[in-house]
Amino acid sequence: MSASSPIGYPLPWAPAPDIPESWAALGERPLQEITLPSGDPALLVTRYKDVRRLFADERLSRNTFGRASRVSASNDLFGDPNIDNDPPRYLTERSVVMRAFSARRIEALREVVKVIVEELLDAMEAGPQPAELMEAFAYPLPILVICHMLGVPPQDRPKFRRLIDGFLSVSALPEDEVEECRKQYWEYLAELIDAKRAEPGDDLISDLIEISREDPSKLTAYQLQHWVKTLLIAGYVTTASQLGTGMAVLLHRPEVAAELKADLSLVPSAVEELLRYQMMGTSLGTLRYAVEDIELLDGSTVIPKGSTVLLSQESNMDPAEFDDPLKLDIHRTDNHHLTFGAGIHFCAGAALARMELQEATEGLLRRFPGLRLAVPGEELKRPVGGFLAGYTEIPVSW
Amino acid sequence: MGSLRVSADRESCVTSSLCVYRLPQVFDQDAEGRVLVVDEQPPDGLLRELQRARRGCPTRSIRLEGPGVEPDEAGEATP
Ligand code: SF4
Repeated sequence: MSASSPIGYPLPWAPAPDIPESWAALGERPLQEITLPSGDPALLVTRYKDVRRLFADERLSRNTFGRASRVSASNDLFGDPNIDNDPPRYLTERSVVMRAFSARRIEALREVVKVIVEELLDAMEAGPQPAELMEAFAYPLPILVICHMLGVPPQDRPKFRRLIDGFLSVSALPEDEVEECRKQYWEYLAELIDAKRAEPGDDLISDLIEISREDPSKLTAYQLQHWVKTLLIAGYVTTASQLGTGMAVLLHRPEVAAELKADLSLVPSAVEELLRYQMMGTSLGTLRYAVEDIELLDGSTVIPKGSTVLLSQESNMDPAEFDDPLKLDIHRTDNHHLTFGAGIHFCAGAALARMELQEATEGLLRRFPGLRLAVPGEELKRPVGGFLAGYTEIPVSW
Repeated sequence: MGSLRVSADRESCVTSSLCVYRLPQVFDQDAEGRVLVVDEQPPDGLLRELQRARRGCPTRSIRLEGPGVEPDEAGEATP
């Protein structure tokens, strides 16, 4: 193996909605030794072609619990001994859940999303300026959508948001507080599922309960709860963070924003480019464990068996795959970025997230053609010690 | 009717819906969300879009045959 001395990961963020040069420099080495927030070591795969191929490589197991390095010293969210995340078990579970995410179902939801977007924008317009985009729009939208899908009662929304935020702490909260949020969240889910069991509705949780009741070998009670937990988290924070950060990145470049405002038919390609470009998250959630030695495409670099491996989001900046990768180009076509992963673990909510991001971006820009950051981009603050690296507040005017 | 042949592996499909969005005239999904090829012999004019759809599939579940079809990129095939 030819890796260099370890660097801390995630890499430091640029203060402004810009890409640090260090991300681009990563591509020079196909494998980089890193130190996770827990202090544990791991190997980061940096090149697009390697990353894309390894997403589909069964020699990299997703079942990391108890054998791989840890992301966080204080939070074991990132490993679950009761869930075997490898095929074939994973595939059965996943196919049960995925029926809710087909193109047809997502398109049917689009109308609901449009209405939610309009209502949130109405409220924003009626309120004072500058508005705070995260609280006014980016958080509520995906929460309302995922609650609609899963059938979470509206009055529970603030509660589950508080618990998820605690649950997702990598180092922001002390261990006992994370543990307490985790416990309460788990209890809340159990109550929610019990309530749906007693009184099923027209929602995904009720559907999953029905499947689990008919054939528990497809979905055990524990797995049911695990998926509800995962869908709620994944449907909320990632989309919220992506939406806010994408807008910050865009509005930080007024000439690009103007181009998009002038031609809203570019929204889908702009959303893809912002997904590729801005890296709202990190690759932290996708630790993998090498069950064998794995050779990379350069023919000389080998991931040794027993390593903890991260497939980097930074591979979206690989010049071998993307022309002028550090440029935000909303016209980019064939943008096969790896933000949603690839292979059998391809993000289950990708189609939903895309649709929400498209509707949200279009709605915002259509409604507020003068939309702009109310503070210089350089002054936007990133959260410290959380799972995602969006912005804590994004003040906007229009 | 063209001379292209399209098929998809329903076992490896992970319901990303990418092919359905790209080429709804060729791809659809069943009630479980797994890919269905609704036009197995699409017009030759769709070659470029079909190749893009094949490339975009996260699990390499789409197969293309026929004149002018470029080989799938080496080293990226799903095991
Ligand atoms: S692109 Fe691939 S994984 Fe996605 S729906 Fe089509 S065949 Fe399935």
